[in-house]
Amino acid sequence: MDEVFKALADPTRRELLDRLFERDGQTLSALEEPLPMSRFGVMKHLKVLEEAGLVTTRRRGREKLHFLNPVPIRLIHDRWVSKYAEPWASALSELKRDIEGSENSNDEEEER
Amino acid sequence: MNDEQAYTVIGGRGAMSVFEIYIKTTPERLWEAITSEQLRKRYSFGVGTASEWTEGSEYKASVPGVVDIAGGENLEVDPPRRLVQSFNALWSEDVKREGTSRVTWEIEPVGTSCRLRVTHDQLGEDANNELYGGWPMILSGLKTLLETGEDLDTPGSLRYSGAAG
Repeated sequence: MDEVFKALADPTRRELLDRLFERDGQTLSALEEPLPMSRFGVMKHLKVLEEAGLVTTRRRGREKLHFLNPVPIRLIHDRWVSKYAEPWASALSELKRDIEGSENSNDEEEER
Repeated sequence: MNDEQAYTVIGGRGAMSVFEIYIKTTPERLWEAITSEQLRKRYSFGVGTASEWTEGSEYKASVPGVVDIAGGENLEVDPPRRLVQSFNALWSEDVKREGTSRVTWEIEPVGTSCRLRVTHDQLGEDANNELYGGWPMILSGLKTLLETGEDLDTPGSLRYSGAAG
């Protein structure tokens, strides 16, 4: 878990994760293109993300594709966030249900 | 940024998501937790998966009489290493329209642990992220169950448990 927090404690690495969230399965060339950094620099950041389990790779022919693995962040959520957020989360989901419930009943009335 | 050009489509068959987790357990126990209807319920939103787990057999994830979650065919069954399934989401009209995708479970022993990799592919371009968005919570619950014997009870993780059958 230390490795995950260390990996997340860097703006370039967070940006790489955001970009993989938008488009999963990218090559190093695609990932480095918009970054003001050497190819070697981007490789080093990707290696830190891989070692933390946040990025996983697959080979396809000669290409190495990078995928976001969100599971370690989920583990942090389950360990460190959800138990503190639970009273809020359940109040919010009740609110959501109430709102959606009343919206649905409006819809039904409109349909009639 | 030239995003369209930079993006590589996997095998020309659309999008793919990969989920990996390390769990301190044996491949046999992990395989059992994936294929036992009763164990599966404890980490998959309270939903069990019923199947004969033979190649070509069907599987169905549901709370009988309450909600159907997913179904499909077991394409490859190689215990305790590899399970490949076709995947049809059934929990809403929106996800039903997404059609058939594929889920591959791979178990690899690493020291005294196992690496479990779940690959969800053959998803359409811009597939509804509900299709694969549940995997992190499921895998987190599976890890908790196998390592502690307890159920993960974070909000939503046992949504359907206790639903009348």
